[in-house]
Amino acid sequence: MANRSLQLTLNGNAAEPVDIPDDLLMIDYLHEYKNLTGSRLGCGQGICHACVVIVDNPDGTSEEVRTCITGAHYFAGKRVRTIEGHATRDDEGKVTQLNPIQQRFVDEFAFQCSYCAPGFVNAATVLVEKLQRQPVAKSQLEKVVEDSLGHHICRCTGYVRYFSATRNVLTELGLVREG
Amino acid sequence: MSNRDMSRRSFLQGSVVAGVTVTLIPLSNQAFAALKEESVTMPSEQWLGTNGKARSRNDALSKVCGGKVFARDIRAKDMPGWPEQQGHAMLLKITKADHIYAGMDLSWLGAELQPDRIVTAEDLANDGIAFPQDHGPDPLLPVGQVPMFIGHPVAILIWNDFECFRQAKAKLKFNDKAIRYGAKAELYQTDPYGSFRYVRVGGATSADEDEFASLKDSILFPMLRNRRPVWDSQPDLHGDLTERGLYYAGRIKQQIDAPPDNWLVFDERYKTPSIEPAALEPDNGNGWYDTVSKTLHFVVATQCPLEAATETAKMIAPSRFALNNLKIHPGYTVGYGSKDHNIFVYYAALAALYGAGVPVRLANDRYEQFQSGIKRHPFDIRYQLAVDKTDYSFKIFRAEMSVDGGGRANYSSSVAAVGATAAQSIYYMPQNDLQVTAYHSRGVEAGSMRGYGTLQSMASTEMMVDEIADRLGIDAIVLRKKNAMVSGTKNTQGAIPAGALRLHEILDKAAVHEVWKNRHALKQQREAQDPYHWHGVGFAICQKDFGTGSEAPMASVEFTADGHISLRHIGIEIGTGMSTSQALVVADFLGSPASEVTTGETQWDELQLTTGGNPYTMSQAEQNNFLLDPRWVGKLASASSASNSAYYFSHATREAARVLFNHGLWPAALHIWSQGPYGGQANPYVVRREDANWVDGQLTANGMQPLSFAQLAKHAHDLGLITGATVHGFNRWSWAESEFEIGKTRVRLPLDGLAVKYGDGAASEKQAQMNSAGFHLLDRKTVHYPDVQLNNAAVTYYSPVATLVEVKVNKGTGEVQVLNHHSWIECGRVLVEELVKGQLEGGVAMGIGHALMEEMPLYEGGPGEGDWNFNRYRLPMARHVAVWKQTSEILPPLSRSDPAKGIAEVVMIPVVGAIGNAVAHAIGKRVRDLPLTSTRIKEALNG
Amino acid sequence: MKYPLLRIAMAVGLAGSSALALAETQVERGEYLTRAADCMACHTAKGGAPYAGGLPIDSPFGTIYGTNITPSKEHGIGLYNDDEFFAALNEGKRRDGANLYPAMPYTSYHRVTREDADAIHAYLKTVEPIERAAPETSLSFPFNVRPGIIAWNLMYGDGVPLESPEGKSQAWQRGQYMVDVLGHCGECHTPRGMAGAMQADKRMMGGVLNGYLAPSLLARDLADRGWSHEDLSSFLKLGMSDQGTMFNEMYPVFHNSTQYLADDDLNAIATFLLGDQPPEARVLNEVPLDQVSSSAQRGRQQYLNVCAGCHAPGGEGKPHIAVAMRGNTTLRLDDPRNLLRVIEDGIGEQKFTGFERMQPMPGFADKLDQQALTDLLNYLRQTWGGKDSDLVLADVQALQEEASPE
Repeated sequence: MANRSLQLTLNGNAAEPVDIPDDLLMIDYLHEYKNLTGSRLGCGQGICHACVVIVDNPDGTSEEVRTCITGAHYFAGKRVRTIEGHATRDDEGKVTQLNPIQQRFVDEFAFQCSYCAPGFVNAATVLVEKLQRQPVAKSQLEKVVEDSLGHHICRCTGYVRYFSATRNVLTELGLVREG
Repeated sequence: MSNRDMSRRSFLQGSVVAGVTVTLIPLSNQAFAALKEESVTMPSEQWLGTNGKARSRNDALSKVCGGKVFARDIRAKDMPGWPEQQGHAMLLKITKADHIYAGMDLSWLGAELQPDRIVTAEDLANDGIAFPQDHGPDPLLPVGQVPMFIGHPVAILIWNDFECFRQAKAKLKFNDKAIRYGAKAELYQTDPYGSFRYVRVGGATSADEDEFASLKDSILFPMLRNRRPVWDSQPDLHGDLTERGLYYAGRIKQQIDAPPDNWLVFDERYKTPSIEPAALEPDNGNGWYDTVSKTLHFVVATQCPLEAATETAKMIAPSRFALNNLKIHPGYTVGYGSKDHNIFVYYAALAALYGAGVPVRLANDRYEQFQSGIKRHPFDIRYQLAVDKTDYSFKIFRAEMSVDGGGRANYSSSVAAVGATAAQSIYYMPQNDLQVTAYHSRGVEAGSMRGYGTLQSMASTEMMVDEIADRLGIDAIVLRKKNAMVSGTKNTQGAIPAGALRLHEILDKAAVHEVWKNRHALKQQREAQDPYHWHGVGFAICQKDFGTGSEAPMASVEFTADGHISLRHIGIEIGTGMSTSQALVVADFLGSPASEVTTGETQWDELQLTTGGNPYTMSQAEQNNFLLDPRWVGKLASASSASNSAYYFSHATREAARVLFNHGLWPAALHIWSQGPYGGQANPYVVRREDANWVDGQLTANGMQPLSFAQLAKHAHDLGLITGATVHGFNRWSWAESEFEIGKTRVRLPLDGLAVKYGDGAASEKQAQMNSAGFHLLDRKTVHYPDVQLNNAAVTYYSPVATLVEVKVNKGTGEVQVLNHHSWIECGRVLVEELVKGQLEGGVAMGIGHALMEEMPLYEGGPGEGDWNFNRYRLPMARHVAVWKQTSEILPPLSRSDPAKGIAEVVMIPVVGAIGNAVAHAIGKRVRDLPLTSTRIKEALNG
Repeated sequence: MKYPLLRIAMAVGLAGSSALALAETQVERGEYLTRAADCMACHTAKGGAPYAGGLPIDSPFGTIYGTNITPSKEHGIGLYNDDEFFAALNEGKRRDGANLYPAMPYTSYHRVTREDADAIHAYLKTVEPIERAAPETSLSFPFNVRPGIIAWNLMYGDGVPLESPEGKSQAWQRGQYMVDVLGHCGECHTPRGMAGAMQADKRMMGGVLNGYLAPSLLARDLADRGWSHEDLSSFLKLGMSDQGTMFNEMYPVFHNSTQYLADDDLNAIATFLLGDQPPEARVLNEVPLDQVSSSAQRGRQQYLNVCAGCHAPGGEGKPHIAVAMRGNTTLRLDDPRNLLRVIEDGIGEQKFTGFERMQPMPGFADKLDQQALTDLLNYLRQTWGGKDSDLVLADVQALQEEASPE
């Protein structure tokens, strides 16, 4: 087991470089080294997607990545956003503004226990960002939501409110074009 | 005996358990605000809409921002005063149940990865640990014994740091190299966990006196021989209760074995699977045993914090570890029942206790959660139902049920009883004989899980009724309407359900639903368009109990002089939204919801309660004797389970708020309205309390000037009126009632404990009375408890739900797809509509999983071996649940005064039967074993 | 090299099969043979009714659709009599006399016995008739004109040449019938020439299909890749073994065909493929990190980053979740194509027998650049694949271009 130094950007800030084992999974790095526990361990096997974070690619695109099956060193040099980083906060750390997906999930009672909520917020946020680059045709709206959220597991809600809230927010943000 | 917790005893006196001071500080408490960006719940101004309805859940903000909401999220460094170092533990488990355990071998891990501490059965014995009896024996398997079940823990392994733990655990996973097996041995055996028989022979109509019934007479209990129930008492019409019951049971059997020509006797078997609740937060706890102050600080995920605290204290108190204080912090959690009465809590507490001053976290990963998390009981059911072919009336209902409780006794006994007493679904049965036995097996422990036995029995009943309608050649809803209970009819125990039964209202709606009306034409039309699939439509309905027959809610509501309302409640937020709905319930009486909510509260010193005896099994004389003590209550506090928040939790919240209104706000209002000469503005009118109304947050009555809550709160304080109330209630299918003297008024309330607070301006003598943790503890002047015989009712509170489902079945693969569904629900008064609908949507999804997807082998090759995850155990995904199309309808309450009914469990049941019926409609064959996998469907088609 | 045809031997092989003895009726026999011949693979669309056709088969010449072979008179083969059915199976002749497209493996089925053909036909007559036409096939010249196929048939249509059964065990002979005739394994595992016909001189030596290699089934190659008789037969039965799982084109073959085969026949297949005296399966030891190339050493971190979460840092895999890299047969192929394709494309969720359901493997085409891929391939092949030479970036580049010619 070898250690190597990891440097990455977490929620907009350069994370302090730290020597960590070469096989450490990203979720363990976030939980045990950074105390960021919002990316939740659901299956630990890449199935439920409760653990996903957002990686911002150099080309301006963003994508969700499962931290429970991806090594921390995969993220070396990358820009990573976790659920803790979406909302705007004041100097005291109080939330002053949620991102549009978060707000809509709150307004539509989308989650119950909320263990899976960070994964859904991240997946839907990635979708919003994708459609901001290229809006979706109205006829494809539901499909694009299914494709973006359909692999996430929720045991409480039956998915109904996550899906409708995402559909609604896309329309509200003007990301749906006729067609 | 409805022995939901047959041997549970509570010894909690005040907050000292076995000499240990127990303090529960929920993670949501303000005291912990410092450890995260915000506390879990928001003040009401942030979530309350201008219309007095909730704009969001009050825990929404922290939940949507990934805040530390769950116990799972907590690390040592989050906890004020804890050392920063975080140790980690795991349970080592034996996975072959047919060999003697010969010890363990960890040498192959190498020196570096050896655990810092290993806790074995020997240690527990040497150290005097009194492991909770309910979860015994042998929490850790002693060397030389055969395991009770596959996955029996043998040791707690503890590492002081994360890296060693991580690497060692990776090596220990997916193999049993650390276990030394001895000789092959007979499987562990023990007596059934419980066995019951509910016999009822009604009179000519339900209204006539029963000849024999559980409520009127008795539930029947068998003798046990060779670990099986036997009924060898001599049936005798004039004998004792059992002999009489067996006489009637025998008569029922004779009739059904030799039926008259005009009867159809249905006789089939149904099987239901073992289900993983799959709460996404796996079981976990994190604790620090401070060796200096002899204090155990314990963060834990549980649906029953008070039980967890009590039992933990009792477990450690007699041991060599000195324990002065137990500080327990329950987090917001989720469990669907699986975190109620869960042995895991005590393993986690032990891991902490043996931490040698290092905080230790024991947290299941998903494989471990499959391996040892509480499961839903599989049922094996034989149903017989005799129906009169001429008028379609049900005549006799017989059931023989075997329930697999897995390897450790949990709630199997009561799950069996509840399953049997729900078997009738919504139908009146003139005669019934329902037998049920819960057995030990080498499978994973089964316990409380959403539906609690009723899902298994009622889904089967609904498939049976549909099949009978087929055999009779009549419409299945017509058959249901013919036999559905009406208000006032007796259930299979001979008890009369609470309130109005609105089953026919739902059935009438379903009967005229387009999909049901046109189901045969729809099938034809769709199959012509889509030759690859068979199409079908199915319907089912049920009504499910809420509550446990021993509910004990506690709540405390207070307001300050500047109008800040706070609510403390025993309830735990398990995702259902109780922290929001309970805050709102307060508004009925105070005009505004509670701004500050503390859930999972267990500091109730002001009530000075004591308890003792088992509320399920005590005799009437025993209860009468206990009641001589004005502090005694039948049970201390409910768990958050059994769909109990909407009704039972609201009861306590409402009664506390009602006291504040009647003895605080209302007199304050009268005082204001009567100011001035000749009684002021109130004098010319007649002002009555029953005419009081909150309008836009202001109180008025009979034309009086509207007064704001803030104004009234200030005035009530100035006058020294009642500004705080803590209440305790007890329900055994009926509420305990007591008389209290509040001021000079004697009032009769559906409570058995009450303490009040007087406003800031109270006279010194009143101030002096507030000597019980800041409250004035009132004595019960009289008390009336529900008779112990009511235990035999088994259930009186029901909420009905019906679901109509459309499916298609692939002709090649046999796979079933749900195309659409519509549900009707009657839940009395709706507290927060979005929360009700959310429960329904989630329940239906879980029901779809149960009906079509979720299944595991019970024993070898099953989850006990520690290698199961969501790849093999398939949970419903959005694509399985008709996520865009599904619809639902909540029946409007009869009036605003309808009670709010519990629905968290019932919502998942009818969809299961409806899918079974829809598949039968599609393929023309009946599949009676769940889930309806492609394999079973292909078998049915080929067989 | 030409082998004599030996129909008699086939009949002997048949009589020796106890699996078929279990099938009491002709229809039951037919159902089993239909499975063994894997008719479903081409004649059932994803999500469609059995044998109702419609599965698109991508060929170098265009897309061919499996036809509806249910007893529908209008759209299926409801009007065929046994003779006509036999002609279709054996000669590729349609009822109206036209030639079938050679995607129908009639050059393999050429040796199916009349008795077996009749049984298959008897079974197909019992399946539910589906009144729906399969989609029209559209091919490029000359195969878009059915007469063009006649020319193909003249060249290759005489049936695949078979190895002499002389001196072989009964199991071997039965295995030959299962593999070369019913199973038509050579259709994929034999390289094809320009005209699309199998190259007789390279029989079973491996063919490339839709970017993936259907590897050589020659005994020495199988043994070299770690296959023993037992592993091979249980692999066919369960779709999984210590060597890995069936994926890509073999997955539907397992799903529709091999999992249903009787143990005798599976043994026979293994006997035929590995021979009556099977070569010893080659055992490989893991090569330590300091003994692999520097590219492979760099590849180790790629492996830990994106593979080890499922396949484990030590390559032991996770039971019922993800296959082991130790002992994995795909890593041992000289041609790195399949390994690269799997890493880039991923593998969808795969259900096997009972409760076995391997989780989907994500594709890493957009996660790993060519250098990272090269390093990773070298790490895998050198550590667990018994390879000692490096692939270079150009090798990977070439394979990628081959896979996506546009």
